[in-house]
Amino acid sequence: MADSGNPDSEPTTRTLLRRVLDTADPRTPRRPRNARAGAQRALLETPSSRRLSSQTKMTARRRSQRTKSIGKLAHVQASGHLEEQTPRTLLKNILLTAHPLLAVSAAPESSIVMPESVVKPVPAPQVVQPPRRESSRGSLELQLPELEPPTTLAPGLLAPGKRKQRLRLSVFQQAMDQELPLSQEPHGNADASSLTSSLNLTFATPLQPQSVQRPGLARRPPTHRAVDVGAFLQDLRDTSLALAPPDTVLEDTQPFSQPLVGQSPSVHHSLPCPSHSGAEDAERAVSHRTRSSGPRLQNNSPGKPAQLLAGRAEEVDALAMSFSHSSSSIFGEVAVEPLQDGVGEEAEERMEESLSMSKVKEAARAQGSARAEEPEGHTQVTEAEGSQGAIETKEPEGSSGDVDTSGRTVSPELAASTLEFLQAKQLQCLEPAPPPSTAVLPLEPLSARLPPRARTPGPKPRQGPYKTRLSHYAKLFSFYAKMPMERKALEMVEKCLDKYFQHLCDDLEVFAAHAGRKTVRPEDLELLMRRQGLVTDQLSLHVLVERHLPLEYRQLLIPCAFSGNSVFPAQ
Amino acid sequence: MAVSTTVSQRKHIKRKAPRGFLKRVFKRQKPHLRLETSGDLLMHLNCLLFVQRLAEESRTNACENKCGVIKREHVLAAAKRQRLLLTGISM
Repeated sequence: MADSGNPDSEPTTRTLLRRVLDTADPRTPRRPRNARAGAQRALLETPSSRRLSSQTKMTARRRSQRTKSIGKLAHVQASGHLEEQTPRTLLKNILLTAHPLLAVSAAPESSIVMPESVVKPVPAPQVVQPPRRESSRGSLELQLPELEPPTTLAPGLLAPGKRKQRLRLSVFQQAMDQELPLSQEPHGNADASSLTSSLNLTFATPLQPQSVQRPGLARRPPTHRAVDVGAFLQDLRDTSLALAPPDTVLEDTQPFSQPLVGQSPSVHHSLPCPSHSGAEDAERAVSHRTRSSGPRLQNNSPGKPAQLLAGRAEEVDALAMSFSHSSSSIFGEVAVEPLQDGVGEEAEERMEESLSMSKVKEAARAQGSARAEEPEGHTQVTEAEGSQGAIETKEPEGSSGDVDTSGRTVSPELAASTLEFLQAKQLQCLEPAPPPSTAVLPLEPLSARLPPRARTPGPKPRQGPYKTRLSHYAKLFSFYAKMPMERKALEMVEKCLDKYFQHLCDDLEVFAAHAGRKTVRPEDLELLMRRQGLVTDQLSLHVLVERHLPLEYRQLLIPCAFSGNSVFPAQ
Repeated sequence: MAVSTTVSQRKHIKRKAPRGFLKRVFKRQKPHLRLETSGDLLMHLNCLLFVQRLAEESRTNACENKCGVIKREHVLAAAKRQRLLLTGISM
């Protein structure tokens, strides 16, 4: 092989060409080196060369990282002229025919530019092609006559060509950077793919700044908070399932966590976790409930007297919850409605109301022992299972009847179930199993506690649902911070929020008084935000609303014109 | 016609504003005042922005102290700065 003039620092090239030589199909006649067009035709005509090209492709990929290897066309070309030519001349032919656009190898002998698809004219590179091709051709033609006899001069001539081609490579890369990479060669060599992938990367990035440059039009950031709430709910569920100790105030954000010391975990386990989105959550909760309610009911029965004796509103609510749980466990209903829609004061209010309703019904029935039986009745139902049929018949009636009484979406069913339980117990099981009789006595003082409990809404609910709401914002804080936080830090955040709310209300009062009003209007809010520096002349309130609030609230806040010459909300 | 003031039943709003809570807080603080319908939404917006600023500030504090965790001192310092910078009337 005429390698003297061609310092083959890359044996792979030689092996490549040797392979090509060995397996070359001598069908294609040797074309004159200058006949680039002919070479192209040869490229097209050689089907077998494709096989060779595949082989050469593989080897090319191997060395492609360094050489930015020979393309298919090059190999095809090489194969076409195999018999007569030496590896060097083959390479030269490749250079001739190759599209001198793509990368030039660092290796000396492989000043082979990656052939662009000469067959497939790529419009973008073609702009760059002709000058390069000409120049390369020129340089090659200079070299070629001297290559006939392989001489040592060729490498010297190759060098300037290489340099030129290397320069052209940089120019080409710049040109490519400016233009999008068009249809990539199917014979995507690894280099080609890597190059284009790198180019693709560079193309990807310019698209982004365009949106960044126009922040005013940018929509609000992605909805991470949805995930956060979901994680929050998941935490609730997990804590409720995992028997969270009562001292983890922050995690156990159940509304009744604080007042209930011993029984709260057990009660909460029976509580279904709130889930807006998932029936699956409810199902899971129900399954947990059914699992837990069985053993829990036993615990609850002795625990309930203690709870009620403590005389807290939340306990009664917990009782109601447990009633409903027992009912659901008995009937196997999937009370999908989450008990804690708002995780907090609403549930509490509902429960209070339902209990008050139940109390009213009890009073109406004028059965003194009924009240005492209330707490135990449900447990007894589970235990006795004797009144199941009767209760089931009562259940649907009661649920339909009590929907309007309690007036809430969730609580009607539960309240109905609880009420129906009471009614059923009263009507049919006046004397259920022996345990209730024993439990009646300790429960009688509970009934005495029931009325006063309704009158203590002030300080107690302040703790429970207020804390949950604050922790709602605290979780938002931990989300916005994007860093792990200590528990004490979260408590501090809650304190700050508390103070913030106080300041907020004071400010609003001052603003409303300044306007001579007794109602705080959105204008006062806007003035407050302006004073805080959130709303500026550049940044209007509407933009903030659009960014941070969900769409439904935006509709309520920003006046928008509708059909019929109407604007909503009215100004 | 105009859009209904209430959200349709099955609509699930993510990142809901705790309107009841906000209304109740206001009522507790200022029972002699009334809060309008959209007022609590803007209050919620204000809270969000406040929390955001606070979080940003505490994160900066924590990073300055080269902590990987936000501690309560960072939060406290951030809150103090907020109080100072805010040009509220009663602050």
